[in-house]
Amino acid sequence: MNEQGDIRDDEIRIIGSNLPSDPQPPVSRLRRVIAGVIVVVVIAVVAIFVWGGRGASNEPLLSAEEQGVEEVVIPEIFDPYDSGDSEDIVIQPETGRFGSAVDSLVRGFCEIRDMSMNDVPLRIYIPHNADMTLHVGKLDREDSAIIYAAEASFIRADNLDILGAFVLAGEPLAWGLSVRGYCSSIGGEVKVGVADNSPLFEEAIERGGYFFRQYGLVDEGVLVENEPKNKSIRRAICERRGEIFMVESLNKESFHDFAQALVDLDIDNAVNLPGSEAYGWAVDGDDEVHEFGTPNFYTGRGKMPKNTNYIVWRRR
Amino acid sequence: MYRRNIAMTRHLVISTMNDLVRITPDSVIYISSEGNYSTLMLRDGNARIVTVQLGQIEKMIAAQLGAEGNIFIRIGKSLIINRSYIYYINISRQQLMLSNVETFSYTVAASKEALKQLKELLDSEVK
Repeated sequence: MNEQGDIRDDEIRIIGSNLPSDPQPPVSRLRRVIAGVIVVVVIAVVAIFVWGGRGASNEPLLSAEEQGVEEVVIPEIFDPYDSGDSEDIVIQPETGRFGSAVDSLVRGFCEIRDMSMNDVPLRIYIPHNADMTLHVGKLDREDSAIIYAAEASFIRADNLDILGAFVLAGEPLAWGLSVRGYCSSIGGEVKVGVADNSPLFEEAIERGGYFFRQYGLVDEGVLVENEPKNKSIRRAICERRGEIFMVESLNKESFHDFAQALVDLDIDNAVNLPGSEAYGWAVDGDDEVHEFGTPNFYTGRGKMPKNTNYIVWRRR
Repeated sequence: MYRRNIAMTRHLVISTMNDLVRITPDSVIYISSEGNYSTLMLRDGNARIVTVQLGQIEKMIAAQLGAEGNIFIRIGKSLIINRSYIYYINISRQQLMLSNVETFSYTVAASKEALKQLKELLDSEVK
């Protein structure tokens, strides 16, 4: 039986039993054998290299410090899954939420929390006493009412239109259904979900609200697979037990790994936001501005598409 | 002379600095991890949050219940389930439904590989 903490997300273990309880398929065992062989080979190669180097030069082996070079610490490369559960996730015990309990009279701000889930470091932006709208076009970075802004929908490369349905203050600007995730802000209530059709599109039009579509990442607690396999800084807007917040990966992650981390955070629904160089910022409780992405991304790359759009949280 | 037989039901006791939860194993449907916290989803519909990591709860189950603890199965890093309530597994949709088919039904997510292993385990037990 494995040690108690030594379990990966693709394993199961019967508790309180010494019976063989590890019905791993041969492939999984084979993977471990291969990993073991790789470790032995790497150690052997390093030993031969060091031994040979010493023999050839007849000089004593110096430590990195003695050689005046920076010592490189090799991370855990052979079993990246074996790092245990995350230890820095704090949930407010009285509310079960990530965000602190904030008095409604407090000036709006964005609570920023760093945490990691299964080796995926994440930054969480929790807006307090603020409402979400959408904005199309260049944002005013001097607007002191904004406590969080990030790009919302993608722009189509072929015609520079907004990808997927989009409603701006009751006015529909795009009607596409090619991406299934959606986010709406109607009458001060933000909803996030994944569906082919959502009545929230029509409701946003009728009630002067906001609606956009993006890739879905988590649908009712279940990971949504997406085609792009590249790794990038990822962002998402999420709903967990009614709490709305934005999440950003601090490392480049695949869609799958990012979405899995969100699922592991017990997030109910999440949709993607443009990541990588897409620009945005958050204002914390001390009025300090935290930027992400590249503010001058379009400098030297041509004009910013006029349909570039943002989710914007403004103080109430 | 009458002899009174009292059936002693084993309890799982989860004790922290501030509180203590004492519960029969069959009252627990599943336990999910939320970092340093764990949530016990109970048969009466209540959820109890304890400031204990899931790995520590797993150790408590093994230490306190011994072989009887084998009604619990750890699934990945984030979940312990009571196998008595496994009702439905769908590997492709990554769905595991825990239900007594009468009063409650909870759907939890797990990796496809873990669900495949769970299905194989249950298949092997009926053969």
